Parts: sequence; structure tokens; C-alpha cells
Amino acid sequence: MRIYAVCVYLFLYTPIAIIALFSFNAGRHASQLQGFSVQWYARAFKNPFVMDALETSLFVAFVSATLASILGTLAAVGLQNIRGPARAVFDGVIYIAIMIPGIVIGIATLIALVTVFDVLNPLLASLWFEGGQPPRLSMGIGSLIAAHTMFTMALVIVIVRARLAGMEKVLTEASADLYATPLGTFRQVTLPLIAPAILAGFLLSFTFSFDDFIIAFFVAGSETTLPIYVFSSIRRGVTPEINAIGTMVMVASLLLLIIAQLILRRRPRS
Amino acid sequence: MAHIPVDLQYTANKQSDSRPPIAALRNVSKVFGSVIAADALNLSIAQGEFLSFLGPSGCGKTTALRMLAGFEAPTSGDVLIDGQAVNDLEPYRRPVNMVFQSYALFPHLNVSDNIGYGLRQRRPRLSRGEIAGKVGRALEIVRLTGFESRRVWEMSGGQQQRVALARAIVNEPKLLLLDEPLAALDRKLRKEMQIELQDLQRQIGITFVLVTHDQEEALSLSDRICVMRGGRIVQTGSPQDLYDQPKSRYVADFVGTSNFFDGTIDAVVDGIATLATRSGLRLQGAATAGLSVGAAVCLSVRPEQIRMSRDAVPGGLACTVHNRIFLGEHTEYLVQHPALGTVNVLTPRLIESGDMSFQTGEQVHINWNPGRALVLSPD
Repeated sequence: MRIYAVCVYLFLYTPIAIIALFSFNAGRHASQLQGFSVQWYARAFKNPFVMDALETSLFVAFVSATLASILGTLAAVGLQNIRGPARAVFDGVIYIAIMIPGIVIGIATLIALVTVFDVLNPLLASLWFEGGQPPRLSMGIGSLIAAHTMFTMALVIVIVRARLAGMEKVLTEASADLYATPLGTFRQVTLPLIAPAILAGFLLSFTFSFDDFIIAFFVAGSETTLPIYVFSSIRRGVTPEINAIGTMVMVASLLLLIIAQLILRRRPRS
Repeated sequence: MAHIPVDLQYTANKQSDSRPPIAALRNVSKVFGSVIAADALNLSIAQGEFLSFLGPSGCGKTTALRMLAGFEAPTSGDVLIDGQAVNDLEPYRRPVNMVFQSYALFPHLNVSDNIGYGLRQRRPRLSRGEIAGKVGRALEIVRLTGFESRRVWEMSGGQQQRVALARAIVNEPKLLLLDEPLAALDRKLRKEMQIELQDLQRQIGITFVLVTHDQEEALSLSDRICVMRGGRIVQTGSPQDLYDQPKSRYVADFVGTSNFFDGTIDAVVDGIATLATRSGLRLQGAATAGLSVGAAVCLSVRPEQIRMSRDAVPGGLACTVHNRIFLGEHTEYLVQHPALGTVNVLTPRLIESGDMSFQTGEQVHINWNPGRALVLSPD
């Protein structure tokens, strides 16, 4: 059994290790090690296309993670007060959003948005004041943020809900008993106690959005995120520069995920 | 804690009956789905008194407390605080504070921020200095001065309990509600906190309403006890009244311990009822109102009212000593009667000198003064 386990791990992690290893390759071939160098990292940082894609990715990840954290937290807090069959329906819908494959979300979002835009654009054009150029809705950074927010919001809801469930209901009662209004209770008791979960949810959402290729590929329109850039440049041949980008993305993502886990692990003490 | 002379405490508490009620329940009922948690409760709570709701779990005592706090709205009837109906008033608008069974201290705040929480909600705002001063005095009252910046989870159960108390009394509520506040403490600490609670109540003069299932706690703390069962108040009175004049077997059983003998009333002469047990024995006890000849009743005899002797006495019952439990100042005997079963007898040490000490297996005779036994309704 042990040998099989070793094989599985080798199969999983060897390609990743090779990518990291070849990112330090001194030569220009992705298949032939020719000494140690960090030149490809420097190249990546100097490449304006890479930097543009990175900027787009960071922007989308930040905005979608922020929106998902706010909306997800509000949803989780609101769901606290829902009981019975309605609760089961909401729970189901949330878990489905997490389990649906990215490609389905990508295609569904693309089709839905294109359909809506096809209706809205002529409508906007006809209603727009004369002489002016009507705005044209199209796929782009907005649709990208919307699609990522929708998916990652479900993650935030699940994480924040777990924390809320662990929080004693009696604490909010105690706060109300001590003259705090519902808003005051939320601000002074609930929010501080679920803050770690919100932060962890934000980091996970950020990581997801930053790494995502499948959904972005469908809904990004003419925008290029870092994963899309990597994909398209691979078609022109793999250079160690791609390895360097891949390694950096991997390290950054792992760091964020580890931080999120550490935050969630810190048990609320009672 | 400041010490108040005993006689002053006594008069202060005696006056409570004549003071205007600070809170009241008027025909209050609460229904959860198909469960009637509170059934037409009527009760006035006097300014400055220490009132307890006593009963087993599920008797409605916590529901009654939560309706006073505002966490539950009554299905019907009125909850009055200071003469005003507060049925729909949110908890955060009521001049009452609660000490929760689990204390419900805020884990993200230190001791003084926990205690000052209620003060910080006040509008217009209190100055920082005012809050700090009040918190300091509250800490002094519960003897936790110097613990201001402690994290609450670092404290022992007894200390957390005192923080919870301080957090409530610092707001000077009209009513302090205590939901089984001592249940989580060990026996020794519970005794200490009982004394502290009573001292505190006399010192600050706030009306206390306690919920407990512990009869000893209710008896030792309260000016008045409200015994509950199945959502109803079955009897309200001072601890001594409840002990000496229970109106039903349930109250006699819940407040103190007692021996119960079932039977039907045979005759009532001069307030003394004679009842016949199923096995044909004739037993006597003081008749209570509302019970007539032929009624199925229950005779309640407190263990300390039973006299035990080696010699036969007129009207005495011959028993065998089954078990003897030495309790220090008292000795508890479990004696066996062929028809009545096990009877609990408590004899003080005073008369238990020399040959008054009975041995297991010995034949004895028990009797009681009929005026000291009570004929009660059997439920």
C-alpha cells in the first residue's frame, strides 16, 4: 500500500516540482537544465503583458473577494434567523454553488450575460438621449468580477456560518439585555467574534479568483488575467518565464491559504 | 462588602410587602407551538424583595423570567414593569438586567469592558471617567478590584460569576434577573456565592428575581418563593410559609422532605382530620381548607416532627429500624412499617443521648402530634 501512496504523491507533485525547478533554469529551454539563474523571474517582471495581466488579476481578485466577504457575511447573518424548509433550500443552493464545476459556471454565466446584453443593448440604444453614444454592455472586467463574486460568496457564507453556529446565542441576548440595539449588538459583539471567519473567507476568495482560469476564460471578454495569459503564451511554446510565473502564483496562493487556515484554526475561546 | 447590622437587614426585608410592586405578571400565558410554557401567571414583585421561581426543569420558571427580560413576548396577559405594560418592549429598552446561567460574558472583551458594556450603550453618552468610576465601584462590590484588564476566559467559574453580576448591577436595574446563576459552580463555591448574593441584594437594594430548581438555594436566599409546576404557579409565600403550610403534596415534596401517606378522610374534628389508609390504619393530621370527608388525600409528616420510642405509645405505629444515618447534629432513621413502608425520621442529637440511640433491626414505635402533620390534596 505504501508504495502506491508514494506513486500517487510522485505523480501529483513531480510536475509541480519540475515547474519550480525549471523556473531557475539558466538556459532558454523548458526541458533542459543548464545551470541556476533567476533571470526568468526578472524577465517576467519586466514583461508589460505579464504585468498588465497581473494587475487585472489582482484587481478582480480584490474586488470580488471584498464583495463576496460583505455579501456573504450579510447572507450568513441573515440566514441565522431562518428555520425550517426555507433554511434547507438556502443551504442546498449555497452548497450547489460550491459544487458546480467551474466550466458550468463559466458557460452558464457567459450565456446568461450575453443573452441579457443582447436584450439590454438595443434597449439602451433606443432609450438613450439623442446624439449621445449609448453605453454598450459587454463581457469584461465587470462580468469577471460578478462571476467570481457569485462563486466565492458561497465559500464565505459557509465559513462565516460555521463560526456563527459556534457562537453562543446567549451572547447576543446578553448584549440586548445590556441595552444594545440590534445594530449595536452586531457591531460590538457579532462582528468582532466572526471577524476571523470573514478574513479567512476573504483570503480564500482572493486565492480562488486569482488562480481561476476556467470561469475567467469564458467571461473575461477581452480582458486578460494572469492564468489566461499563461494559457495563451503556452501555445507559443513553453519558456522558463512561464515556469517562473507559475511558481510565483503557486507560492502566493499557498501562503494565502495557509494564513486563512491559521486564522480559522484559532479557536474562539469561551 | 460593607457589613449591615442584622436587625436592620431584617426590617428592610420585612417592609417589602408594603412597598408598591416594581413588576407584575397579570394573567400572563405563553404558548410555544402546542406547549403551554406559562399558564395564566399572576404575581406582584415588590420593590426591593428577593423573589425566587422554584420548580423542576420545564415548569415554566425560565419562561417567566425571559418574559420579564423581554426575550419572550407573552401570548396573552400583561407584563408590567413600574406600572407600565411592557409586553412588546424590546429587551434593550427595559430597565432590567439578567445574569445568565452560562454567564454569557463577551469573550473578546476584558473584565472592565464587559462590565462597562451596558454603560457604553447609554444615550446621551457617559464620559469615560464616569464609566470607569462606576465599573470600579461595581468591581469593588463583587471584590474583583485589580482584575480590570483580565481576559474573562482566564478566570475561574466563581470569578466569572462575579463579573456577570457586576456587569448587571453596574446599570442599577429596577429588576435583576438571575437564571440559575449558581448551577455551574461546585458545592462549596455555591454556598459562598449564595451568601454573597444575599449580602449584595441587601446592600444595593435592587429587586432580585431568581430562577432555580434547587430548593435549598431558594429557601436560603428568598424573601418569597413562587413554586411552579407545569406552567402554573402552585403556591407563593415566604420560605417558612411554604415549609410549614404547603397547600399540596407537590409543594410539601419540593420544599423540604416529607413522609406521605395516602388515604381518604374519615372524619374531621376540631380541625384535626382522621384519614383511613388503604390498609385500614387510622392516621391523624391538621385538616387544610377545601378538603371534606370522603376526599382522597395525602398526609404529610415532616421527618423532624416524628417522635420515636422503644415503649409503645397510644396511637403509635410499631416499626423496625431499617437504617441509621449519622448526620452530626441529627440522626436520620429509615424505619419500616408493614403497611406504610419506609418512614423517614429525623432526631436531633440533644435527645439522642444514651439509650435514645436506636440500632438497626430494633423494634420502635413512632407517633406525631396531629397538629404538626398536614392533610393535603394528593397532587
